[in-house]
Amino acid sequence: MYICLMYSNELIKGTLKTIVLSLLAKHGRMYGYEITQHVKEATDGKIQLTEGALYPLLHRLEAEGMLLTEKVNIGKRVRKYYSLTDAGNETSGVLAKEFKDFSETMNQLLNNFLLNPSYHG
Amino acid sequence: MAELNEQQIDLISAYIRQHGVASDSLHEDLLDHVCTSIENLMDEGLSFEDAFAKTIKLFGPGGLKQVQQQTFELITEMNVTMKKLAFVLGLTSAILLLAGTVFKLLHWPGAGIMVVLGGGILSLGYLPMLLWHKLKESEKGDAPMHITGFVGLAGSALGVTFKIMHWPGAGMFLIGGMAFLGIIYIPIYFFRKYKTSSNKPVTLSAGLVAMTCLIMVFALININNSAQMDRALLLPENHLYVKAQGIRDTDFAKDGEFWKAASETVTLLDEFAVEMIMRSEEVSSAEASRMSILDLRRRNDHRTPHFFLFNEGGRMSELVEVLKRVNAASEGLVTEGMFAYEVDESYVLYGESLDWASYHFKNVPLTSVLSQFAQIKLDLLRASDMVAHQESIQPAASGPPSGS
Repeated sequence: MYICLMYSNELIKGTLKTIVLSLLAKHGRMYGYEITQHVKEATDGKIQLTEGALYPLLHRLEAEGMLLTEKVNIGKRVRKYYSLTDAGNETSGVLAKEFKDFSETMNQLLNNFLLNPSYHG
Repeated sequence: MAELNEQQIDLISAYIRQHGVASDSLHEDLLDHVCTSIENLMDEGLSFEDAFAKTIKLFGPGGLKQVQQQTFELITEMNVTMKKLAFVLGLTSAILLLAGTVFKLLHWPGAGIMVVLGGGILSLGYLPMLLWHKLKESEKGDAPMHITGFVGLAGSALGVTFKIMHWPGAGMFLIGGMAFLGIIYIPIYFFRKYKTSSNKPVTLSAGLVAMTCLIMVFALININNSAQMDRALLLPENHLYVKAQGIRDTDFAKDGEFWKAASETVTLLDEFAVEMIMRSEEVSSAEASRMSILDLRRRNDHRTPHFFLFNEGGRMSELVEVLKRVNAASEGLVTEGMFAYEVDESYVLYGESLDWASYHFKNVPLTSVLSQFAQIKLDLLRASDMVAHQESIQPAASGPPSGS
């Protein structure tokens, strides 16, 4: 369901919430299509969110009180902008910090393996 | 920048709805998303049709419907504890109900507690959790349907439990529950299905079959005895009762302990019969004394005799007392076993030890109580013949046998 050219689904699945919340923390309000395009451009197409992953997540985060929506009429259709609530803002910080920490730990771990092949036993 | 016209937007909107996205807020999101994507692709030189096709392709094999499905799943996801709890509750109630029913059929002890626990957990634990989950995952408009479905199912389950336990109120729960299911839930459920169904005749027939099944269950509960069976059982009882109505306490108007006790027994039995018919049928005593068993409308009424004979101030003890006196007085005068109301014996019913009165009269329908009363009266009449016979030959028998 996540069309992504570089990474496995398992890897993306755990970080999707972090990606969306951080993006909204940085850009204020965004609409769905904008989010997918932004992620695609910012990662040189390495990560491409699909609608099937994005919208369920947005709706869930809204239900959890992390996102606010704002409707704007665009011609004949409605565009829904998503932005962070205070709770969402807080969570985005926590998640981003956690992920940075995690990725540093992973780096450290993998470097250890690479530098000391004897670790493999 | 390309901009879609109204017709094109309507087309896309209809397409999204057709492909199973029923939630309005998701529909808005997807419509804007698809339109923006098409507009951008058109800027790159694609035609509307090609851009539309390419955009839809991005949704993957599950398509739009899957987006909605996943949205619901994410929003309504039960947490792990709740899932486990629901699973345990469902499994426990199913096992308890099954085991309880089997035990009940085999008359093993412990059936009652299992059925009660199982029915209780099902209707007060599992079903409410199911309702909560259903309410969360479905559209607001569906709430009344799910609530009536819950009330119907829980009512029926409680009704069945009460019915198995012979508790009062079973009929009310069952009829209420089934009515909710049959009159409200199933019609609404199938009407909604029918509206969105692609194969309408099949949906319609399935709805009709569901209704028919429910009506059959309903009918089976209400007609628990067929009319013929009722008649076959009642005719001999009625025959006995009518025959015994002719026996009066005056038939025993002679001197002696046996005659006195027998006359008192008949008086008591007649009084009890009239009192119980009066209460059960709500008629005057004159009318009650003229009624036979076939005239009764509430033939299966077991509450009136139970209250009259066994509740506080119940009159069963008076009958037991007078029968003891008859027994004592007839000793030696009546062939053994011909008239023996062994009121001191205990009896075993389904593994439970009961005294004479409870065994014969507790939780027994009025018709059966009346026919047992009739039987006692007839037995007394027969015993009185023997006593009269014995008394007439008594002087001869007491003298020494003439030698031959």
